[in-house]
Amino acid sequence: MMKRPFFGIATPKLKYDVIEDVQPEPVTVQPKQRVTLFIEKAYDRADKALIKKGAAVVRGQRLQLFDEDPAAYAICPVSGVISEISPFIGMMEKQMTAVVIDTESDREDDRDTAFKEVSGTPSIEDAARFLGRLPGKPDFTQFTDADRMVKTIAVLGADQDLQSITGQYIIKTGISSVKTGIDILRKITGVQNIVLVVAQHQVQVAGTAAAGVRSVGAHYPSAHPEMIIRHLLAEQAEQGQIAFLTAEAVAGIGAAYNTGELPLEKQITVAKKDGTRQLVTAPVGTHAADILDAVNEQIENGDRLIMGGPMTGDAVYSLEHPVEPDTEAIMVQDKETIVEGTDTPCTNCGECVRICPANIPVNELVRLLDAGEYEQAAEQAALFSCIECGLCAYVCESRIPIFQFIRLAKHAVKRMRAAEEANA
Amino acid sequence: MPNPTKLTVSHAPFLHDGSEISNKQYNIIAATLIAVIAGLLQYGIPALGVLTLSVGSAMAWELLMNLLTRRPVSIGDGNAALIGLLFAMLLPAVVPWWLVVTGTFVAVVIGKQIYGGIGGNPFNPVVVAYAILMISWPMFLDFNAALVDYQFDFTAGFPLVLYEAYGTAGLESFSPGGLLLGQQAGGIGATFGLGLIIGGIYLILRGFIRWEIAVSFLAGIFITALCFNLYNPEVYAGPVFHILTGYALIGAFFLAPEDSSSPVHFAPMLIYGLLGGFLTVLIRNLGAHVDGVIYAILIINLVHPIIDKIRPKAMRRVMHHA
Repeated sequence: MMKRPFFGIATPKLKYDVIEDVQPEPVTVQPKQRVTLFIEKAYDRADKALIKKGAAVVRGQRLQLFDEDPAAYAICPVSGVISEISPFIGMMEKQMTAVVIDTESDREDDRDTAFKEVSGTPSIEDAARFLGRLPGKPDFTQFTDADRMVKTIAVLGADQDLQSITGQYIIKTGISSVKTGIDILRKITGVQNIVLVVAQHQVQVAGTAAAGVRSVGAHYPSAHPEMIIRHLLAEQAEQGQIAFLTAEAVAGIGAAYNTGELPLEKQITVAKKDGTRQLVTAPVGTHAADILDAVNEQIENGDRLIMGGPMTGDAVYSLEHPVEPDTEAIMVQDKETIVEGTDTPCTNCGECVRICPANIPVNELVRLLDAGEYEQAAEQAALFSCIECGLCAYVCESRIPIFQFIRLAKHAVKRMRAAEEANA
Repeated sequence: MPNPTKLTVSHAPFLHDGSEISNKQYNIIAATLIAVIAGLLQYGIPALGVLTLSVGSAMAWELLMNLLTRRPVSIGDGNAALIGLLFAMLLPAVVPWWLVVTGTFVAVVIGKQIYGGIGGNPFNPVVVAYAILMISWPMFLDFNAALVDYQFDFTAGFPLVLYEAYGTAGLESFSPGGLLLGQQAGGIGATFGLGLIIGGIYLILRGFIRWEIAVSFLAGIFITALCFNLYNPEVYAGPVFHILTGYALIGAFFLAPEDSSSPVHFAPMLIYGLLGGFLTVLIRNLGAHVDGVIYAILIINLVHPIIDKIRPKAMRRVMHHA
């Protein structure tokens, strides 16, 4: 736990982790028996599903759930047999489908060739069809959405959360793939202005990538897309004109079109209980348990397993939880270091207001949220200005779970508005 | 498959800076100690009696309210003890016991608990209690009457009473250095200015109170008093006298910056403090009351939610999704 400094007159600052000059090679992890993939679509019509239990699948195969929704798919990272398909509810009632695949080691070399056939002529449609679940999870709807006129692509090489060095590792070791990816992106999206956003100490490495380079500050959350827009790309910051892709995704796009094979392995930073970290390379879908085994991390009753970083990640309840395409880090937190939230009311100390990067009157917001006045919070207390960095809850003296309040409120307001629109 | 490991599941962020309400309250209590000990040395056992009764009864009222309202017992957070302590610091060393108990009742129950406990109070509970007692039983809070049995080696009259009665002519026996070192009659913990300043600076450096409020409160007193003083030096005392007498210092460092009843944004904090200082001198120089700090703080507490609306605009989100 990072403590409040003794002298507290200035607002505390949290520093991003910096990759070492001599970084140990990542540990390669293979899933032991099965992998789990999430498809972002409710599994409500089992009879209409295109994938069935018991079907054999191969590495790189595209698993689309329903015929009418080509965006709901996963890329199979292993060869094996589908052993289970079931509904899964993610954070904030997100309806998903979990597909469990039992691996078959004797078919390890099999590979799906559907992408290879189209990889000769790069296009945005094929990219959206095959590359949307690459490690790093590039969001191609940013380019296909008719409402948006993307003029700048920002490639995020700086890590988004504390304790993660995944992005820095990609820049350090995979800058040539990133460069290839940037070239292909220019071709398929038609967007010529591409900037690479990296941490200060990586500006020189990033300079070889044939793109504009911007550097972000050392303090959290300066690498957050909203902060980047505000401070680095303010001149291009029209509604929706900037698209964001992670460096890993861009490197993956480069590798995919170079080789005709889809990259399936995700780089992950494992933050251990003792404060050390270990880079891991594992296929998307690998269970957390397999990864923790590989890095010799023991996890016990009462500990916390967090998919993502310490500020914005999600604590999960099962060691079977898989690595998702956008899981940058896995963190294990010892039960001794867990700080519990409380239901103590806000004392109006103002620490949250002073640390909020979005200038939200958090003290007022938290009172409205406490009272369940979500609509009013959205109108008067800038609920939707929140960039979800988690700093307010980090400094809260009453230990109010403010960040969770905000996420719940946003979710509730969006649902209410959607219902209103549907009834209108 | 059933999973044998039971993990703790909760929400982000998973780090916390370790700050807590009780830590802050105990630090503020610690910061008052220099001034309190100086007061005890000056006034002896009667002052100790008032202090302990005040702290004890404040905590008892808090506990009673916790039980009555069936809420978690909160005397451990130190807030009730701090309220009792600050209240005693304002009192003369000799007061009837029932006045102390009534005062802490008003502070803890009427000033704080009926609004839902810590964080809910619109006014500083200590100031509310003192204001109500001042209106109800002014004779017991008259320092000249209360401290009549004490023998001091300095002018025994309460400086602000002398000032009210005789203007600057009554103040010749007070030197700034003497006032700073507590050579004046007054509240148990409110006279030793140096101790209050050291405690206040400690709290500011540790981030437990906001410098904006304390500094602007004193600046408000200084500027306003200076204006009066320049206008008519024979009638109106200088700014240093105003800052070092009465409740000015304890108000600036311990009463005005109370979290729940003070603003949080930068400009509002400055306005809040300046207004408090301005009103203090205004009441002292023009009003009927001897000390203006208590009423000034009540008034700025009252307007703080409105002042706090002056704030920077929240960031406009530009991204489409997320």
